Amino acid sequence: MIRDRAERTRDVMRLVTAARAVARDRASLTEDLVSTTGLSREGVELGFTRHLELSPTEAEIDALVATAGDAKHVAVILSANVFVAPLRAIAIARAASPSVVVRPSRREPHFARALVERAGDPGISLVDDVDLSRLFGGEVHVYGRDATIADVRLRVGERIRVRGHGAGMGVALVSRDARLEDAAAALAADVIAFDQRGCLSPRVALVVGDAPRASAFADALDAALTSEGARVPRGLVHADERAEASRYESTLAFAGRVIARADHVIGVGPVGAPLLVPPPARHVHVAPAASQEEALRLLADLAQVIVAFGCDDPALAERVAPRHARRSRLGDMQRPLLDGPVDRRDPT
Amino acid sequence: MFEQSDELHRRARAFVTAFEAKAAMPEPFDALACDIARHQAAHVEGFARLCKARGIDVTALERASQIPAVPTDAFKLSRVAAFPESDARVVFRTSGTTIGARGAHAMRDVSTYDAAALAFGRASVARDLAKRVPVLVLGPSPAVLPDSSLTHMIDLFVHALGTPATSAETYLIDADGIIDLESFDTRVARALVAHEPILVLGTSFAYVHLLDALGDEGFRLPHGSRVMQTGGYKGKSREVPAETLRRDLARAFHVPTRAIVAEYGMTELSSQFYEQTLNDEHLPHGVYAEPPWARVEAVDPETLTPVADGEIGIARIVDLMNVDSAVVVLAADRVRRVPQGFELLGRAPGAAPRGCSIAIDEIMGR
Repeated sequence: MIRDRAERTRDVMRLVTAARAVARDRASLTEDLVSTTGLSREGVELGFTRHLELSPTEAEIDALVATAGDAKHVAVILSANVFVAPLRAIAIARAASPSVVVRPSRREPHFARALVERAGDPGISLVDDVDLSRLFGGEVHVYGRDATIADVRLRVGERIRVRGHGAGMGVALVSRDARLEDAAAALAADVIAFDQRGCLSPRVALVVGDAPRASAFADALDAALTSEGARVPRGLVHADERAEASRYESTLAFAGRVIARADHVIGVGPVGAPLLVPPPARHVHVAPAASQEEALRLLADLAQVIVAFGCDDPALAERVAPRHARRSRLGDMQRPLLDGPVDRRDPT
Repeated sequence: MFEQSDELHRRARAFVTAFEAKAAMPEPFDALACDIARHQAAHVEGFARLCKARGIDVTALERASQIPAVPTDAFKLSRVAAFPESDARVVFRTSGTTIGARGAHAMRDVSTYDAAALAFGRASVARDLAKRVPVLVLGPSPAVLPDSSLTHMIDLFVHALGTPATSAETYLIDADGIIDLESFDTRVARALVAHEPILVLGTSFAYVHLLDALGDEGFRLPHGSRVMQTGGYKGKSREVPAETLRRDLARAFHVPTRAIVAEYGMTELSSQFYEQTLNDEHLPHGVYAEPPWARVEAVDPETLTPVADGEIGIARIVDLMNVDSAVVVLAADRVRRVPQGFELLGRAPGAAPRGCSIAIDEIMGR
């Protein structure tokens, strides 16, 4: 039976309502989330209060439903994602299908569990594992690393349609006309969310202009991240991330300029040099781009992995951002509309 | 203008001369390393910045371990050279990655590189050869890949160790990657008749292609032949574990596995490291020896301080032949010190993804 749009919309809104309830009662989840995400308490609080999509517009939900497709069954495999992401993933699956099974991330299962339990929707069930060999027909929605998605595709073969949403990153572009302090403050808000571990998180910032302007932006970003860091301290940084950060710091100390603080690192790359993507956990690579054409040239090699593109000038973003990337104002990179997958690259 | 550099080159080459003469090294390793570091701090802006960032006063350096290491990524982002671009005699470039950046290592005086590469290469794969032997290269010629340090080094070996042969008879992979099996066969047949051992030089992926082309067939190499194998796969062939590749090569060439010698080097260095299985029957495969002018330390990837012998760390390589670039290089490879040298344990993985934020490894892999 094909469900009509109103029914799908109602099912999605039931999840949004459940998310509001989870957010309202978040005190009971916070300690678990601190433990599983490594975020500070303030970081978890920020996720609930600023980044969980609690007030989508009708138009957003219409768009989500319209693009969700139609499937008899959907199995959702959540893996290594930011903790509020299950709302969108499950909403898309539920819009597509009357029958959804959800396997929460093993690393962070609490939010997804709480959401599904609060929704009390008989069309959604939680499972500890999805037995791919027993799936026939329908779809699998996989969130995770490229390797995970490839593995699922291999295991289900042609039997089942797989929608894979892999890893990605955000890039910020600061226009020639931008006021650097404002752009830096907005970008800092995008960086601190989820300690930069989301696929929308900006890790590279291109500044249109010369090297001194990029350096001035780095100083402004340093001040903004220091201020934001006092409000929302960085959480746990793992040994492998610290190792990669150490290498990044040494490289930029040699090749350009590095601003290393206790809770963040900013590197300023040399003019015209390839972009060096730093590790997550509040590390930003700033580079000058003499022109729009230079920005395009510098970003060309990264285009495939850019999921989010933030810019203070929408017209400039239109000209420079990869077609598939979500475009937004700086400061809103981590607050995408609830209108479909955050990752707009072809999931098939 | 280059007096200081020339003098340092002379001192560096004196290590090579002493090694070849089986004599004592001409001066302490640390003394030359620190003098080279001072030269580089004076002439390489980036290295001066790195020293400053690390709070290092180069005038007070006493040991090589105090010199800050330049990560290999720096060679992709900026020029690592103590002389103007116009004075570069050669510029070696790293192989490209999917994100496009290629590192560059410029040299003003390539004779130091040549002397070191040849001396330790000869000692590691040709010490027992009394005369020149046929050298076959499973790789492109310098004409095809003029900016590859590996190709340059192999060409040195061809000219220093090999019997006369044309380029077409020597370099058996063309610009399209096609292996010339016929020429290989012809030269092997000739060597068998003349009872001359053969030296085969090539990259791991080229050997895999050769083995795939041969199937169950093989090329019986003359007695005493040996095979040098170097480099990773870089996506150019299926990947084969080192042990399997060694076994398959030994089978295909009818040589003992100890005659398969692995080399470890990189564009950012001027020195190379070799397994010593041809020279010492007690040394296992997988253990690389350093020449007396280079040191490989395993360091903690975060603090960059040495880890205990036997523990795994990132390779921090002091290379006295890198006179005009970076005397200490931080590689991205994991190593472990063992009594006879160091083991190479593959590329250090980047930070594991803990959200959907992409990992560096995934960017590189796309």
